[in-house]
Amino acid sequence: MRQHCTMNELLALREGEGTAWAREHLDGCSFCRRELELLHGRAAALRALPAIRPPRDRWSVVREQAVREQRGTRLRRAAWGALALAASVTLIVGVRALGPGGATGADGVQVATTPELSDLMARSRNLEAALQNYGTDGRVLSARTAGIIADLETGIAAVDAGINDARTRGTQNDLVDLWRSRVDLMDALVNAHVTRAAYVGF
Amino acid sequence: MTRATALGVAVLDDIAIERARTGDLGALERVYRAYEGLVYSLARRICRTEEDAEDVLQETFLEVCRSIRGFRGAGPGSLTAWVKRIAASKALMRIRRQKYRDADELPEDGAFAAQRTTDVGLQLDLEAALSRLSETSRSVVWLHDVEGYTHEDIAEMMGKTVSFSKSQLARAHTRLRGWLGGE
Repeated sequence: MRQHCTMNELLALREGEGTAWAREHLDGCSFCRRELELLHGRAAALRALPAIRPPRDRWSVVREQAVREQRGTRLRRAAWGALALAASVTLIVGVRALGPGGATGADGVQVATTPELSDLMARSRNLEAALQNYGTDGRVLSARTAGIIADLETGIAAVDAGINDARTRGTQNDLVDLWRSRVDLMDALVNAHVTRAAYVGF
Repeated sequence: MTRATALGVAVLDDIAIERARTGDLGALERVYRAYEGLVYSLARRICRTEEDAEDVLQETFLEVCRSIRGFRGAGPGSLTAWVKRIAASKALMRIRRQKYRDADELPEDGAFAAQRTTDVGLQLDLEAALSRLSETSRSVVWLHDVEGYTHEDIAEMMGKTVSFSKSQLARAHTRLRGWLGGE
C-alpha cells in the first residue's frame, strides 16, 4: 500500500485535478500537504527569478539580415511584375501588328506627347549609364539574384523588340507604353545590381 | 509611443505595431528593444549556453521581421504572446537539433518520497538547480510553471505527447525538490 502522493499526483492536485484517492489522502496527510505547499512555492520562486539581459546587442545583425531579405522580396516582386508587364505589352503590340493597323495613329488622337517620350528615353539612357557603373561582368552572383537578373533582361529584350516594331509602324502611343515598360524594367535591373554589389562589398 | 511596465518590459502602442507590420526598420527596432530581455531570458533558461541563447534571440527577431506582416493580433498583449511563442519554438528547435544527452534521467513517475532520500545533502540555489536539469525537463518546467503554457501547448511545440510533457514536469520537480530540500 502506498504511503504518499507521487510528484505526478501532487502536480495534478496543484492543477485542481488529481484522483479521488490523492484528494482524500491529502486531507489526512500533513507530509503531502507540506509537499504541495513546497511545489507552489517552487513555482513562485521560479517566476520570481530575475530577467537576464543579453550580453551583446544583436539588433545590428538582425537588421542587416532583415534588410537583405526585404530587398530580395522586393526584387522578386519587381521582376515578376516587370515580366508580366513586358508580356502584356508584347501581346498588345503583337495583336495590333496583326490587326488592320494604323487605328491608333490614324484616328488623330495624340494621347502621348513627344516630350513624354523624350523624357522616358532619357531616363532609360541614364539607367543604362548607371548600369555600366556597376560593371556587371565577372562578379559573383547568388543563384536567386542571377535568376532575377536573367528574368529582367529577358523582359527588356521583349520590350526592345516591341519598340522596334512600333517604330516601324509609327504608333506613338505604343512607343510611350513600351518605353515606360523599359524604364521600369531597367530600374529594377539597376536595383538588382545595386543590391548584389552591396552584398559583395563593391 | 512606448511605456514601461512594472516588469521593465516596454509596451508598444498599436501605431508602432502597425508600422512594424509594414516592415519599417525603426519600428522593428522598437519591437526588438521592447522584447529582447524577455526573449533572451526565456532562451537562456531553456538553452544550455549563453551563445545558444544569443542565437535564439537573433533567430527569433529575424522571424519576427519576416512574419510580423501576417501578425493579426490586436494590442501589445497579443504581440508579447506571439513573440514569446516564436522564441519558445526557436529555443526548443535548437535543443532538439543539438540533442544533448540528458545527464539526469530519472525513472518515470518515481515515488517522490523515495527519491527525496537519495538527494539529501544536495542543497543548491534555485538558479543552479535549474541549470542542472536536462534541457528537456528544464524547458518543460519553465514553459509550464513560468510562461504559463499548458501541457497541450508544450506537447505541440516539442512535437511530443501531453503525457510526455507531464512526465517531464514531474521529473523536473522531483529533481528540484531533491536538490533544494525543504526550501
